[in-house]
Formats: sequence, structure tokens, C-alpha cells
Amino acid sequence: MLAALAWRNLWRRPQRTLLSLAGIVLVDALLIFVISFMVGVYGVMKETTLRIFDGYAQMQPAGWADDPTLERGIAHPLALVRMARAVDGVTAAAPRVNAFAVLAHGPRSYGAAVVGVDPTAEARVSTIAGSIVQGRYLVPGDSAAAVVGEMLARDLGLAVGGQVTMLGAGRDGSAAADVLTVVGVYRSGISDMDRAILEMPLARAQDDFDMSGAANTIALGGRSLEAVNAAAPALRAIGRRAGATLVDWAALEPALDQAITLKWATSMLLYFTLVAVVAFITLNTLLMSVLERQREFGVLLALGMRAGQVGAMVWLELLGLALLGAAVGMTLGAGATLWLQQVGIVIPGIEHVTAQFGMPERLRPTLTPFSLLVGPLALTVCIVIGGVAPWLRVRRLTPADAVRIG
Amino acid sequence: MRPRAVIAGALFWACTRACLAASPAPDPDVILRQAFDHYRAGTSESRVVMTIHRTDWERRLELTADTHGHDDALVRFTAPAKDAGSATLQLAGETWVFNPRLNQVIRLPQSMLSRSWMGSDFSYSDLAKSEDLLTLYTHRLTATRLDEGHAVWTIEATPRPGAPVVWGKVAVTVRDDWVIVEETFFDQDFKAARRMTTDKIGRLDGRPYPVSMTMQPLDQPGQWTRVETQEAHFDIPLPGWVFTLSNLQTPRR
Repeated sequence: MLAALAWRNLWRRPQRTLLSLAGIVLVDALLIFVISFMVGVYGVMKETTLRIFDGYAQMQPAGWADDPTLERGIAHPLALVRMARAVDGVTAAAPRVNAFAVLAHGPRSYGAAVVGVDPTAEARVSTIAGSIVQGRYLVPGDSAAAVVGEMLARDLGLAVGGQVTMLGAGRDGSAAADVLTVVGVYRSGISDMDRAILEMPLARAQDDFDMSGAANTIALGGRSLEAVNAAAPALRAIGRRAGATLVDWAALEPALDQAITLKWATSMLLYFTLVAVVAFITLNTLLMSVLERQREFGVLLALGMRAGQVGAMVWLELLGLALLGAAVGMTLGAGATLWLQQVGIVIPGIEHVTAQFGMPERLRPTLTPFSLLVGPLALTVCIVIGGVAPWLRVRRLTPADAVRIG
Repeated sequence: MRPRAVIAGALFWACTRACLAASPAPDPDVILRQAFDHYRAGTSESRVVMTIHRTDWERRLELTADTHGHDDALVRFTAPAKDAGSATLQLAGETWVFNPRLNQVIRLPQSMLSRSWMGSDFSYSDLAKSEDLLTLYTHRLTATRLDEGHAVWTIEATPRPGAPVVWGKVAVTVRDDWVIVEETFFDQDFKAARRMTTDKIGRLDGRPYPVSMTMQPLDQPGQWTRVETQEAHFDIPLPGWVFTLSNLQTPRR
């Protein structure tokens, strides 16, 4: 009966109820969209950044992260590659030799990272193979061949067919020297990479750097970042048996992880402020309605209704408003988000940022249970908790006072 | 022991201590300059064995080194066969390397100078024993002690404001015969990062010289590089062609 009374009371002043409802619906729908948009954009940002070179996760020898020297190696990388690929969610595992050398062409010389790669596996993990702007990517069977970043090629005055001299130190400290023919030039869009990475066939790098068949890292690719994250426990166990450590995406790209965490923290603060403001406006409206309805409450009390029941009725009015608002807001928010998820959004003027992270021009929100529920839930909980104030006020009423004040 | 001898001994000890204490504090700039000049001399020619030690392997390399002043140096490896013929030339602030397998001379970019030289715990910058420590740092005498009849000074070098240097601080210990006894390099957080210790001081070409020195990165236990100078001649005439790119690639002697 209380719920029926509360529902009837809500529509005794339809204009006020609709206005309050509109506020709740708008905020709920907006929160669903912006949080979904953040989930979508950061998801794409992470995946595209990781897919350029790092992979969704890596197997590394113990201590590699702090001291990445050639001496730290995975002795039997192929066995580990096979085991990693057998894990559900992992679709590719690319063994690498990660060295550093002076690259020279004629009188020009630059220091650069030299990465020995298995061309087939590498193409499944990293997008460099698909970013070739001149020539071709490495293919199985290549030996004294190399692909270089566009800026490195320009700095060294190299083009496809040119020869680059490489001089570094091998695993045992002896000189690692070789002359490689450039077969391709890539443009990843990340200037630090295009300036500083040369890729060459794995077997030749293992010979040049005296690795005796060992690799330094194994980059992992998967159906999605989520799938590889979910496979982490199994990968960790496999790595442990082979003396390798699984390094997840956040450890591979700590700056990106921290930037996203910071953005989430500041955005959530803003969203919480929005939720609090709307909750207070709604509560204020209800409190005003409670003050206006003193005489009505007095009559109800005089008719024998207990003060607690009157308070509960007022609280139910608020709950009804919040739930109705959440239901409509979620429908509208989810609908709009799903539509935008299909068509995508182009934000003019952010081309540099999207290029920096190798992201597509058209950004899409991603509706997840989290992004659907967190906003409406926060607002409903705030309103419902805040509703205790009018409820307490009504509970203190006596019939005589209420009728007199009213 | 006769009392007179004891008194004489005590007087001598007291006098030495007093003299050390009373003598005006030596100028740290002068000490470092003398130590550097003593180490490199005007010119030098030496035969050196370098041992690189790691937890699971050790390599022994033999090399010859010619130096001229503080800027020019030519180092050529003679053994083992795998490294024989590799050479490094430092000339007027530039570093060039020659690799016999490539039969090519490569100029090292500045960014490479702080990296390991031939897999050792020395960097290319160490090779030059460059004057950076003298010119880009300010020096302060922090300790004076007596060791086997020698005064030993510890000098703390801190970078001048804005100086383009790697280290946050360097502590150098120099004996009064200008032999550098120890050199500790501190990172930008003033944490000791690596230390070079003189293991043995001998006489080479008539002068006291650190004939065995060990460089140890302090964050890598069980890892060190030892340099043992087996033969050296100082202040000898060296022909101008020694420090040239053509001599780097095609040794004339």
C-alpha cells in the first residue's frame, strides 16, 4: 500500500517529478556514454600501442626489465614459444634477440636497437610488418637483410638496397659485426621507434651476437589484450618452468598505464561531483515537497498512520524516482552508446594524439557491464542514502504540529 | 729496544703527523691535475692485459695503447684471435672504431660513448680519461690520511652547474706520488654506482704507476674488469701518423 501511495504521490505534481526525472535520466545516460567512451578509447589506445612492437605481454629472462643485457637470455626459446602458443587466448609468440649497436652507412653513424626477429611470428605480434613504406618486410629465408625505421633510414642516408654496417658487442663481449642489406623501410608513426629500431632475421642476429640459439624476449600476441591478460596465470606457470618471467602490458608500458590511471582518477572525481550535484538537486526537490505537504502528513497521522510509515512512503517516492530515472537513463544511454559503437565518432583536431598512439581516426565507445552500471548505481545509491534526511524529518512529526504548521 | 730509539721513533711519528696537519691544505685542483698528468704523461705507449669477469665466464684480452696528451688515444687489441685487430681511436673529441671483419672504420656517435667498451665495465668515455673531471667539476679536499709513509688525499668532485656530465659526484683518492688509488663514481642520486680500485702500485719506466686496477659496477656483484699494465714507456716521441684514421685501419707498425 505504501508503494502505491508513493507512486500516486509522485504523479500528483507531474511537472516537478518529470523535471527531477529528466535530471536523473540525463546524468545516467551521460555517464554511461562517457565511461563507455573512456573504456573504448583507452582499450584501443592500449591495444594499438602494444601491437606496434611490445606485444600484449612478454616472456623475459629474470632481471631483464632492470638490466636488459644480452647475457640475460632464454636458452631454449622455441620450446617456450610452442608452449605459450598452446595456451588459450594466445595466438602468436615471437622470439627476439634485443641488442644495441652502432649502425653506419658511409660517414654517418647512429646508435640503434637491433632486434633479431622470426618474420612469420613477428608479423602476428607487431604491426611493423604491415607498416612498410618502401620495399618489403623480412621473409623466412632472409639472412643478411634488415628493415629500418623511416627516420633512421633518413638519418643514415639509406634506401632499399643500401648496405648498413652494424657494430656492437656480442653476448661474450666480443665484437658483433655484420653488413646487412636494407630490404624495407617502415613507418610505425611513433618517431622514437622509427628513429631507433632495426630488425634483422633472428638466426643471423643469434650468430652475430653470439647468442648460441638463445633469445632475450618472447613477445606474445592474442585475440585481444583481455584474452592474453586472462591467460596470464597459465603463461606465468609455463615461464617459471623455463626460467622466464611473464611481463604484462602495464609493466611493458608503465607510462601509458599511469597516464590512463591518472585520467580515470580525475574523470571519476568529475563524474562523482556530477552525481553529487544531481543527487542534491533531487533531494532538495523532495525536501521542498515534504515541507509543502506537512498538513497532508498531519492528516495521515491523525487517521492513524504511523510516523515511520509516512517516512517510509516519502523515502519510497524517492526510490521510485531514482529507479525510474535509472531505468530510462540506462535504456537511453545504452542505446546511444551501442549506436555510436557501431558508427564511431570522429573528433576533429586530435589527429596528432591518435597518430602518436597509432590509433584509428574514428573512435568508438565500448559498452561493458561496468560502464553501464557504475554511473546509474552511484546516483541511485546517493539519492537513496540522501533520502534518509527527509525521512527523519517526517518521522519526527506529530499530528497536531503537522496540521498547525501546514 | 733502547729508550733513545723509542723516543726518536715517537718524535718522528709526532713530527710527521704535525707536519701533515700544519702544512697548508693542498689545492685539490692541483692534486687532480698532477694525478691526471702523471697517469697519461705527455705521451705513453703501453702493453696491457684486460680481464673481463662475469659470474659465468671470463675473458682475457691483450692490447697495446698509445696516448698523446689528454685527448688522443689509440688502442689496438692483439689477442685473442677473435678480437685481434679491433682498434679504437680517440682523436680531438671524436671516437672511431675499426673492426677487421668489416674492414671498416666507424665513427661512434656521442650517444654511444657512455656504453660498454668491448664488453668491459669501462665505457668509451673512460678510455680517454678525459679532462671532464678537471674542467667540468669543482673539487674539494675531504680527507687526508697517511698510508705506508705516503700522504693520501680524497677529493670530492661535484659537477659545475649545468655541466653536461653523467655522474652526480666523483670521489678520487690520490697518493702524494700522484698515483690514483681509488675512484668512486656516484649517480645523480649520490648513490655509489661503480668503483675503480688500484690493486697494485709498481714502477713502470721509472715512475710509480697503478699496474693493476679493477673497475667494479657496485650494483652487479661478481662482475668486474681488471686492467694490468705489463709494460709502459712515458714521454717518448710518437710520430704524428699514430693518431690518424689511416693508421687505425692499416697499422703502420
